[in-house]
Amino acid sequence: MPARSIVAIVGPNGSGKSTLLRLIGGLLTPDAGEIRIDGRPVEGADARIGFCFQEPRLLPWRDVLDNVAFPLELAGVPRPERVARARESIALVGLGGFERARPHQLSGGMRQRAAVARALVRGPSVLLLDEPFSALDALTRERLDLELQRLWQETGTTIVLVTHDIAEATFVADKVVVLSPRPGHVVAEVPVDVPRPRDISMSTAAAFSEVAEAVRAHLAATDDADAPPRAVA
Amino acid sequence: MRRSIDVVTGILILLVACSCNGTGNAQPTPPATPLKVGLGYIPSVQFAPFYLADQMGYYRNAGLDVTFQNGDDAQLVTLIGSGALDIGLSDGTSVIPAVSQGIPIVYAGTVYAKFPSVVFAKTSSGITTAAGLAGKTLGIPAKEGSSWIMLEALLASAGLTTSDLSISTYPDYGQLVAVEQGQVDSATGFANNEPVQMQLAGDPVTVLTVDSSTPLPGPGLVVGTSTLAAKKDALRAFVAATLHAMKDIITDPQAGLDAAIAVVPELAQDKTTQLAILNATIAQWTSAYTDAHGLGAIDPTAWQKSVDFMSGLPDTVVAKPVTVDQLVTQELLP
Amino acid sequence: MKRLQAVLPIAAAAVLFVVVWKLIVVVGNYPVFILPAPEVVASRFVRAWADGIMTPHTITTLSEVLIGFGVGAALALVVGYLLARSRLAERLLSPYLVAAQATPILALAPLIALWFGTGLTGKVLICALIVFFPVAVSTMVGIRSVDRGLLELGRSLRATRWQIMAKLEISAALPQILGGMRVGVTLAVIGAIVGEWAGADSGLGVLINLARGSLFDIPLMFATLLTIALIGVSLYLVVVLIERRLVGAR
Repeated sequence: MPARSIVAIVGPNGSGKSTLLRLIGGLLTPDAGEIRIDGRPVEGADARIGFCFQEPRLLPWRDVLDNVAFPLELAGVPRPERVARARESIALVGLGGFERARPHQLSGGMRQRAAVARALVRGPSVLLLDEPFSALDALTRERLDLELQRLWQETGTTIVLVTHDIAEATFVADKVVVLSPRPGHVVAEVPVDVPRPRDISMSTAAAFSEVAEAVRAHLAATDDADAPPRAVA
Repeated sequence: MRRSIDVVTGILILLVACSCNGTGNAQPTPPATPLKVGLGYIPSVQFAPFYLADQMGYYRNAGLDVTFQNGDDAQLVTLIGSGALDIGLSDGTSVIPAVSQGIPIVYAGTVYAKFPSVVFAKTSSGITTAAGLAGKTLGIPAKEGSSWIMLEALLASAGLTTSDLSISTYPDYGQLVAVEQGQVDSATGFANNEPVQMQLAGDPVTVLTVDSSTPLPGPGLVVGTSTLAAKKDALRAFVAATLHAMKDIITDPQAGLDAAIAVVPELAQDKTTQLAILNATIAQWTSAYTDAHGLGAIDPTAWQKSVDFMSGLPDTVVAKPVTVDQLVTQELLP
Repeated sequence: MKRLQAVLPIAAAAVLFVVVWKLIVVVGNYPVFILPAPEVVASRFVRAWADGIMTPHTITTLSEVLIGFGVGAALALVVGYLLARSRLAERLLSPYLVAAQATPILALAPLIALWFGTGLTGKVLICALIVFFPVAVSTMVGIRSVDRGLLELGRSLRATRWQIMAKLEISAALPQILGGMRVGVTLAVIGAIVGEWAGADSGLGVLINLARGSLFDIPLMFATLLTIALIGVSLYLVVVLIERRLVGAR
């Protein structure tokens, strides 16, 4: 995966999307092969990686600021510095003013924004997103997809997004990787050649539709048991 | 219930018989007076007179229907005061504070003519008199109650106070072990318990009593004042029957032990110990005063001395002044 | 106004309780030594505090409760955590825990007094024993039910074992742990009284025995019960307040 790009991974259930993401994030150790970032291998959880889960996983007993600052706290960053960095991160995801709110006082979308802020607070070079918006309503999801693009532009982070939503994948990503189920294989890598910044009005554009069609075709092929397996690239 | 129905049927039959005969001179048997009697906390050989009087029919023949109930001293005092119990065996030293607090009870018959709470020590400790306790260690279940008052009285007789020796509290029944293992030089106990057990175990034991200095009133028969007025004849009969049984047991302790075993079969496990306890108990029933005035007699002078002593204690339990007339009654004694 | 609405039912219940109590005394025509009227107990309560009978006994009992609770709860936290995280520990320890809990403390108290004396140690031990089970079990349940997602989050952030325990597991299990402590703290009061009954020189349990068995001052006994109840309620409220501060805003 090229640096500073957004890669979306799509695939049916059981194709190992989440597993792949956890391998990249160092939460799982690969049986064979190696994960590298900028040439340096990932061994175990890695500070260069920010991980965003399907659920926000905020600590309910902490406010937004302390949740976002949590990774810095664990790393032993002194309080004044971690507060400053957490505030930056919170502002970046558009949650400014909600620093003192508790998770239960926030909407689902705001909670996921806080989770993204937390993933970004250590300034990671790779941001891993595991279907982060799948539990949200369509409108919120669309808005957050746009935000993701803005974040990417402002931070220059490589983003790997796992999703089962083809429209989301094509709208957000520079490249869509299609996985097949049991055992998981990369079926195809479909580039999305749509210039940025993209906006919602473009989501119905022909370019997106073509990519989406291609992805859909590849996914359909994974259902075919005779489809020749391809080794992971 | 069953019994009262039988009695009613009996009376009816008699009535019918009388009306037929016209001139019948047979008196109908009056129904038995029920009496609820409170004894100490745990059924034991110490209550042998009550068990024997019951089994020998002394109560029944006196027209009484007696039921026993066990409870601790404080419980018995309040139950007797409230009328829930008609009569019971309770410490004389409890009657004084209870009456001073307005609990309507009186002491109506002596059972323990000596004060059963004593200080005991191994003879090897060298303690022979109350004065000898100075500077020694002593175990006691609690710094209150009849043992504590006895200790205060015993020490006072030698011009000492409780601060002249080192006192440690032991949980109930722990004092014997503490003395035997030498954790303390001496301990409070009961004349018919710990010293008896030590003697049976072959340990020479010294016992210090208060009877000669401050004759504190031991356990006796206690009644509520309203019950006393309402059931005087039945209570008199009860006291007489109980004293009768006490005399029986004094002449034949084995009969007392058998009566107790009939109620508490577990006592048969160790008859030697139980008989020794009973013999020690019997020794507590009599004193110079009862020898002169009869078993059960109440000594007003001794009571007055005890009231004066207890009222004068720095940690007195006597809330308001009481007179011996408020505390005891001679009305139930033969 | 809102505050008043919250306090009103509590006050009403208290008034009702006292009225029913008074009614029972009046209707049943009970003498003072069976059931003293509320005003008799209230005035005895005030007098007992004013003339200084109550204070030393209260201090004794309160220190037994607090130290015993502290020791018992601290041990229970450690053991509860072990039970939650180690199957082996659970299999080894839980039979003893349950057996200890099933043994009536009333029967154990005289033995403890015999082994550890009638001073503070024995009471602290009894309080600690009685507090231990509810806190250990609630800690175990709380730790076990910590969201696995949070633990994964901790790992993804390279949290140490210690950090995961201190900053995630304990915090997440806090509602359950504090729930166990709420039960535990009231039990600790009972433990102290039972311990004092088994033998002691001072303490509210001793004062109950003294009032009931030596002084026959039943109003003083009720006043002592009132003090014990107030201690129990106060400690409970302290735990609830701590709970509100730490957990309430979740």
